[in-house]
Amino acid sequence: MKMFDAPIAGANYAADTRNYPWHRPPDIVNYDEGVDYMITKMKEPEQIELVFSLLEIDAHVATVVTSLLMQGISRGKFSIDLAILMAGPIARYISIIADEQGIKYDMGVGDKDRISITPTSLKMALGIMDDDNEETLEVLEEAPVIPEGGLMGAPTEDEAASEDEQAAMLGMVEEEEPTDELA
Amino acid sequence: MKFEDAVKKSIKTFMQGKTPSATDEMAEGGIFHTPEYFDELEENILGEVKEEESVDEDV
Repeated sequence: MKMFDAPIAGANYAADTRNYPWHRPPDIVNYDEGVDYMITKMKEPEQIELVFSLLEIDAHVATVVTSLLMQGISRGKFSIDLAILMAGPIARYISIIADEQGIKYDMGVGDKDRISITPTSLKMALGIMDDDNEETLEVLEEAPVIPEGGLMGAPTEDEAASEDEQAAMLGMVEEEEPTDELA
Repeated sequence: MKFEDAVKKSIKTFMQGKTPSATDEMAEGGIFHTPEYFDELEENILGEVKEEESVDEDV
């Protein structure tokens, strides 16, 4: 439920529009200027160390880019729309410098909901099945036996336990007396 | 859509070799930071690294 995961309607009218840097016109409005600014900024020792450290702790490139862009937006350097446009080039630049340093990274833009294509799924889709797979499928396709009258229904005569089994379940069977093997 | 989702979508699109067309039309002479520019940059940077490695091995 994401009903409350949004700003309150009209909140912008209740706030002073000059309170924050992102309320004022941004410093950079040009795409190339923005990318240049971010690349130059990333060449600073503190920034590059932060980027490499984040990548080394398995943070996705997309997450690193998001945090860098959020910094720029919060300082009023560029607008949110321009930041989204700049995300691609910045991610590409980070991937290049990470390759240069030999740091393994994940872009973090993969689709998690995508059903991965496996040899088995492909064979099934094309109708090509091995003998082993067919046997497995036959076993899987056997539907479980559901008792008549529902799961709580009384068993039929065929399903009912024999008299001996019922007596054993009720503890009415004479137990064998233990024999002394040593005697 | 959240900001992070938009960023991911933008990265994915750029990696597919697409550029913002409206921005490209507005810029005089087209935009400079294209996927091709970064491909060349990658070749230059990683090419230099490979050359350095080969020089070290020779020494």
